[in-house]
Amino acid sequence: MPVLEVERLTKRFGELLAVDDLSFAVEPGEIFGFLGGNGAGKTTTLRMVLDIIRPSSGRISVFGSAPDQRNTAAIGFLPEERGLYGHMSAIDTIVYFARLKGMAAAEGRSHGLELLARFDLADRAGTKIADMSKGMAQKVQLATALVNRPQLLMLDEPFSGLDPVNQGLLEDEILRASGRGAAVIFSTHVMQHAERLCDRLLLLRKGHKRFEGTIDEARATLPARITAVAPQSIARVAGVHHAEPVGDLGAGWHEWTITLAPDTEVGEVLERCTSTGVPLRRFEEHRANLHDVFVSLVGAAEVQP
Amino acid sequence: MNRSNILLVAAREFRQIAAMKSFWLTLMLLPIALALGPLVGQALDDDEETRVVVLDRSGGTAREAILARFEFEEDRYRLSALSRYVRRHGLEQADPQAPWTQHDRWYTEADVATFRAQGGIDAAIAKLDAVKPEGIASFEAPTPQYEFPEAPETLVSASEEQLDERVDALLDSEGEEEVATVVAIGRDYPADPTIRLWSNEQPGTGFITVLQDVLTGDLRQRLLTQRGLSPQEAAAIQSAAPAIAVTTPPPGGGAREALLIRSIVPLALAYILMMSLMLSGSWMLQGSVEERSNKLLESLLACIRPEELMYGKLLGALAVGLSMILVWVGCAAAVAFATHGAIADMIRPALAPLTSPGIILAMIYFFVAGYVAISILFVSIGALADSMSEAQGYLMPILLAILLPITFLIQAIMMGQTGLMVQVLTWVPLWTPFTVLARLGAGIEMWEIVGSGVLLAGFVWLELVFLGRLFRASLLAQGQKPGMKQLFERFRAVRE
Repeated sequence: MPVLEVERLTKRFGELLAVDDLSFAVEPGEIFGFLGGNGAGKTTTLRMVLDIIRPSSGRISVFGSAPDQRNTAAIGFLPEERGLYGHMSAIDTIVYFARLKGMAAAEGRSHGLELLARFDLADRAGTKIADMSKGMAQKVQLATALVNRPQLLMLDEPFSGLDPVNQGLLEDEILRASGRGAAVIFSTHVMQHAERLCDRLLLLRKGHKRFEGTIDEARATLPARITAVAPQSIARVAGVHHAEPVGDLGAGWHEWTITLAPDTEVGEVLERCTSTGVPLRRFEEHRANLHDVFVSLVGAAEVQP
Repeated sequence: MNRSNILLVAAREFRQIAAMKSFWLTLMLLPIALALGPLVGQALDDDEETRVVVLDRSGGTAREAILARFEFEEDRYRLSALSRYVRRHGLEQADPQAPWTQHDRWYTEADVATFRAQGGIDAAIAKLDAVKPEGIASFEAPTPQYEFPEAPETLVSASEEQLDERVDALLDSEGEEEVATVVAIGRDYPADPTIRLWSNEQPGTGFITVLQDVLTGDLRQRLLTQRGLSPQEAAAIQSAAPAIAVTTPPPGGGAREALLIRSIVPLALAYILMMSLMLSGSWMLQGSVEERSNKLLESLLACIRPEELMYGKLLGALAVGLSMILVWVGCAAAVAFATHGAIADMIRPALAPLTSPGIILAMIYFFVAGYVAISILFVSIGALADSMSEAQGYLMPILLAILLPITFLIQAIMMGQTGLMVQVLTWVPLWTPFTVLARLGAGIEMWEIVGSGVLLAGFVWLELVFLGRLFRASLLAQGQKPGMKQLFERFRAVRE
């Protein structure tokens, strides 16, 4: 059974259509990327899943129940805009959120201390949040999301504002949560993280789903590009849609940039070249990366390097 | 709704406010004022005798007459004080025939003479101490108001020309021999009835009246004897006066006095409600604004419902208010216990309204409902504002609207008025808690208590519904300054 199921979800703020007929599901142990530019509807969708705001229409099911059932004991959430009570110590903050999620104080404290130790903050457990650096406070906030060992971990732009070391730490935590069977959803518009972590991803543009599937499936939405050094006969091989000569190497040899016909595999073309006797000095496949897919589906203006 | 979440939020709110220095300063303010009050009162209390020199250059008996009259007035004052003490503690059995156990009269010369004949103040105190129960403080005789030292030689030997200069020197002298007033009776008195009086300060009306009374009596006595009457006949004519029978309720039992004393606890509650709301209001705002400006609302709302957050905040605020009151009432009780004299006597009638369980329930209900009714406003403002200065902008007009009429109301209640303003304030829910609390001591009809209580409950319910919606809708609307249209939309909104 999916941990989270969203069906035909729509959210309007007055005239603005923030989320448009969105459907997806996330399975246990899956890392699910929620990709889209600013204002794509990522945060709005996560807020609806958490029952912070209500949808205009559509259905959400969290662990088989409506979001208003508030299964907070099984959910961890890290918001994009982060902040904690300045006068509270790190461990008190973690215990407070643990108790709001239905944990016993003692259990919350012991797991909180374990998390702080993992985040290299063991000696700062009693330090007030106001006396911590921004990076430290962000790690404490991550601990508040993880303290209840959630089965559904939702992270809204979790990497923003983190230095590379802490980004690595966060990636480890995401993989650790997934490893113990939790479904992890994180929104981002930084493609590298999604490419490294996601089992599946969903691309949103202005509230509307543009793609849902695995990384390979996402790459497959753009035709592969081939560079080859071969004679002119390569342009006639079945499956080659277009062959563009980019350099004359002499003696009938050219460097080509080849675009394949739809639904044609690179391996098929290579096989046909061999079987039809088209000589090859070089044959390289250049697959589309997620950045290319994002630019293609969402638009160059929405992408952040 | 999850009750444990509400309690967790409330406990956190309470701890946050209790960690503020301003909370402890406020908490200690009243006890310190209570402790300092009697000390300041004592310091301000003028319990030193005023030294008056009476220089009689006429060679007559005017000085003796003045001294005798002031001694008589002091004794009459002691008798009145004794009588009040006896009546308050019911100690008439100490000496049923003594004038100080007779409370129905204005003490006459005969009463004072009897008092003196029976041994004066010392004998009276000894009799009272013999019968008074343990735990009642002994009667403390009031300090005499005036002392009349002999005129110094410098004044006695002074010529008419030197007199002013020497009196000035005497009045300027300091220390134990300091003299406040000099009264000079001229050599030609009574042919020249001018009496001269020098004083460092404006002489009291009572002093002048007695002085004038004595000297008038002396002059009339002389005139009557000059007209051929015997001194006895003249004295009899002078002493002809009506016997004034006085009926007063026992101490603290007079209508106006009783009204004031019975209103002490209810009025104090109304004041405390006002004070604690003003103080805790700004603390509550600080907490709400911190949550918004620190951007931690979304984390909270992922764990708890907006309603739980709001109710938790209200409960926390109520706990702060009640704990302040507990400490203050505890301190007041400690002071009453420590002094177990006059203050305890004052408090006994003041606690009379608390003997009725219905009134106690009404006090608790209106206090709690009042606290919630006003606190909801503060919590909603906290949800609207991104900064303390913005919050103060919303808060000030609301505080003024609530508190200004209350100031007038409490004065009106103390003066025993129940006019139109008091009636209106009783039935407008925002002012109901203060008004009903303030009126509980002076007397308020049961139907008014029940009616205004039901109206207040309805008002609180409406506040919880509509301001709850505003709270929910405003929580995540950061950086947006809502206009009137947006505010009304938020009242309507289910949740956006």
